[in-house]
Amino acid sequence: MPDFLNPAAIGIAAAATIPPLVALYFLKLKRRVHVVPSTFLWKRTVEDLQVNSPFQRLRKSLLLLLQLLVLTAGALALGVPMCEQVEQREQTLILLVDQSASMNVIEEGNKTRLDLAKARAKQAVADMPAGSRAMVIAFCDRAAVAASFDTDKRALSSRIDAIEATQSTTSLGEALSLAEAYSQNVIIGGTEEGKDVAPTSAAPDATVLLYTDGRITDGDRLAVERLKVEAMEVVAVGARADNVGILSMDTKRHYERPDVLQVFASLRNFGPEPVRLDASLYINDAFVDNQVVELEGFVLPEGAPDAVLTPPTPGSAKSIAFDEVNFNTAGVVEIRLRVDDALTADNRAWCVVEPPRNVRVLLVTPGNFLLEEALGCLPVQLEVMRPSAFEAAVDAGDAKVMDGERCRYDVVVMDAFSTAKLPQGNYFFWGGAPKIDGVTTGAPIRDQRFFDWDDTHPVLRHVPVAAVDAFEWLDLKVPVDATPLIKGQSSPVLAHLTRGASQYLICAFSLIVQDDAGNPMLNTFWVTKPHFIVFLQNAVQFLSSSLMSKGVLGAPPGQPVTIPVPPKAAEVAISRPDGQTDRVPSAGFNTVHYARTRATGLYRVDPALPGHEHFAVNLFDPVESHVAPRTKIAIGAETVQATTTEQPTNRPAWPYVLLAMLLVLSLEWVVYNRRVFV
Amino acid sequence: MSTVPSDTAALLTPDFIAKIEQLQLVSRKIFMGRMRGERRSKKRGESVEFADYRNYVIGDDLRHVDWNVYARLEKLFLKLFLEEEDLHVSILVDTSKSMDWGRPSKTLYARRVAAAISYIGLANLDRVSVYAYSDGLQYEMAGLRSRRSLPKLLAFLSQTECDGASDLSKACKQFAIRHPQAGIVILLGDFFEKGGYEQGLKFLLGRRYDLYCIQMLSPEEIDPPLVGDLQLKDVEDGDLADVTVSRALLNRYKANLQAYCGGLKEFCTRRGINYLFTGTDVPFEQIVLSYFRRRGLVA
Repeated sequence: MPDFLNPAAIGIAAAATIPPLVALYFLKLKRRVHVVPSTFLWKRTVEDLQVNSPFQRLRKSLLLLLQLLVLTAGALALGVPMCEQVEQREQTLILLVDQSASMNVIEEGNKTRLDLAKARAKQAVADMPAGSRAMVIAFCDRAAVAASFDTDKRALSSRIDAIEATQSTTSLGEALSLAEAYSQNVIIGGTEEGKDVAPTSAAPDATVLLYTDGRITDGDRLAVERLKVEAMEVVAVGARADNVGILSMDTKRHYERPDVLQVFASLRNFGPEPVRLDASLYINDAFVDNQVVELEGFVLPEGAPDAVLTPPTPGSAKSIAFDEVNFNTAGVVEIRLRVDDALTADNRAWCVVEPPRNVRVLLVTPGNFLLEEALGCLPVQLEVMRPSAFEAAVDAGDAKVMDGERCRYDVVVMDAFSTAKLPQGNYFFWGGAPKIDGVTTGAPIRDQRFFDWDDTHPVLRHVPVAAVDAFEWLDLKVPVDATPLIKGQSSPVLAHLTRGASQYLICAFSLIVQDDAGNPMLNTFWVTKPHFIVFLQNAVQFLSSSLMSKGVLGAPPGQPVTIPVPPKAAEVAISRPDGQTDRVPSAGFNTVHYARTRATGLYRVDPALPGHEHFAVNLFDPVESHVAPRTKIAIGAETVQATTTEQPTNRPAWPYVLLAMLLVLSLEWVVYNRRVFV
Repeated sequence: MSTVPSDTAALLTPDFIAKIEQLQLVSRKIFMGRMRGERRSKKRGESVEFADYRNYVIGDDLRHVDWNVYARLEKLFLKLFLEEEDLHVSILVDTSKSMDWGRPSKTLYARRVAAAISYIGLANLDRVSVYAYSDGLQYEMAGLRSRRSLPKLLAFLSQTECDGASDLSKACKQFAIRHPQAGIVILLGDFFEKGGYEQGLKFLLGRRYDLYCIQMLSPEEIDPPLVGDLQLKDVEDGDLADVTVSRALLNRYKANLQAYCGGLKEFCTRRGINYLFTGTDVPFEQIVLSYFRRRGLVA
């Protein structure tokens, strides 16, 4: 039963038109007199018609009936009927529209999830009762106000239309913060004391409508303070679940043959059906190799909270490797998946590789021929420096050591030397520790054994730690996020720590110590074993290879990227994957920060420092790649059940009433003509 | 009151008279006439047409004895001949007001048909009587015989006025009382009788006439060109009928007309009455020369 937005108009229109029409019918019809030879047959005919018609009374007044119907329909149309009227919403709406990567999934009807979400949002705006207002917030990894509070439905709809899809991850926190900020009823000072005025933007009773596919990473980490989560309405859009995505990609040059490139990628099938696909390798847009990958379907175990938190079904996730790729220059390596799935943003991944070069190792030591000889056995470019010289070079920003804010050497080996003057880089401390927060060294510990170690770590691969001993080592304290590789009875002996762009491998003992008499003595016989060289090689390769894999510029979608620029460049032009170019002024600095990275792909920088001509933005987000929509969304401690079906909405019914009026009018015209014209 | 239009003064044209000169009225029954005419009678009479012999009985006219037979057989036989008598032809023309309707009008059409039939009768020395009836017999021109009476008859037909309501029953009753002689009786009219035609025709049937009912309707009656909300007024009695003429009503009217005419035809056929229907848009010459001939009224 439709409701009417303007019921008073029905009564007024009906009162103004229907009584006059009925009155017209009450007036006696003035008939034209016509003389005929005999009324004998005419009377009999009229009687026959009346007798034979079962609805002769109705027939008599059929025109009146039709005209009454026409007037009734017109009066109803004036009442602005709305069908499927739902409970009227609050006067203020805050619409949150998800524009993350997973919203690019093309659903039935060749519409993306974002299109569906925008259509639902526009419908909600259209259904607002007169005088209501709404604001629109679009969010992905960041949130932005697409439209502030407005009562103009057309303007709101156009702003909703203007929301563009991104390939960023989803973070609801910022959007909710914005919504809370707009909804809180902040009292600002009025002109007189005691007469405070609430800002017009305050909307404490606002209803929040969230349009998303439910792929939200931070929902359960949110703490909503002012908004009523239970009053929040989540509208889930989308249905497709078939998707295969590249979750990671890495390139590595062969340690001994630097002109040989190895490319690794991990793939995962999030769809329920098995998939057979081609994974192709391209270098500088030229096809190089292809692998056929078969991935089993992923079935979410019953009761599992979410696919992302659930280990993949066996066979649904695989790693692929392209070995022995001869490539001895710098370039862009790309992996393309040839598969028809829901999301295309995760079917390609890029990685920028630098030209091959020998690992440069700096040994900072007061003098340690054992270490120097051991490092000299490795295929590295080794240089030796005194600690004082190193600190002086760091202080002076000497280009021999420094490359901007970063150390020029790939690995710096610190022998029995602790310092705080550590530019960004990879450090391998022997008998010392970096002077950074959380890392301290105490008195030497003696007469202890190695208690535990992680022989699965790359650094300890092929190293029989059980056969290693040390006379003494420093009482090392490392932060909780450090990875202890070898543990002593009371403190770690070997630990790996990452801080920002630097990483530290800290070995608590030195190769040479001084005895009680102050004479140097061998602290460990490890140096006499072949696996010491293996350990050194593992360590240098681990530190330098991580440099090689992470040294290339890259970022997840939406995250800002810091790009080094040539010293004299006033601005750099950054070409986005969609072909558009942004010009970013350097303002005299050696770096620029670029944040318009919402699209995955390869970004080109011009002018650029050697090796920084490109940077890649890859999705690499299992939350976005797992495109199956979620119907239960955790927001803080609450779980909101999303509505997936089409919500009942207010649809104007007056056009249909007018159409019915037109049809009845046409019928009346036909009846009239059948009656009058022969 | 209305009169016959002046352009209808010439009811019979010389050309048409020439065409019907050789025709004669045919009766399915042989009637006894009052005077000797040109038709054979059931009576044995004095014509030249031999009929039979019979034995002589005392008192017979000796002039009719066949003496040749007596010479051969020596027995007296009378020679019998067929009697030839005249035929009574009575034409009843409806002159009620409803007949003055249509183009051409029904009354002109009826007068022309009456004139033609009358001429054929006069030409064959039949005894022709023409009656105009509406509410009973109004005018009459009775006992005409021979072509010499034609001008008189035509003048009667031309000057007879259409007036009053039709009462066929009354007219037939009066006619039957006044004309006990057998003969051909031809009724010309629209037979729209609010009191019914059955009673009137039964009066005539009782006299064993050779009856012909010729119903004529104008095109406006067969397919009325009416539309809209009308108040129909009966031209004869002023009766009013409010109608809203629609396609459905017209269809029903036509069906009713067809049923009415069909009922009249069935009534006549069941009782040995010749029934003819014609529209006034059909040339009356065609009716006389073709239609009547096919139906056996003229030969």
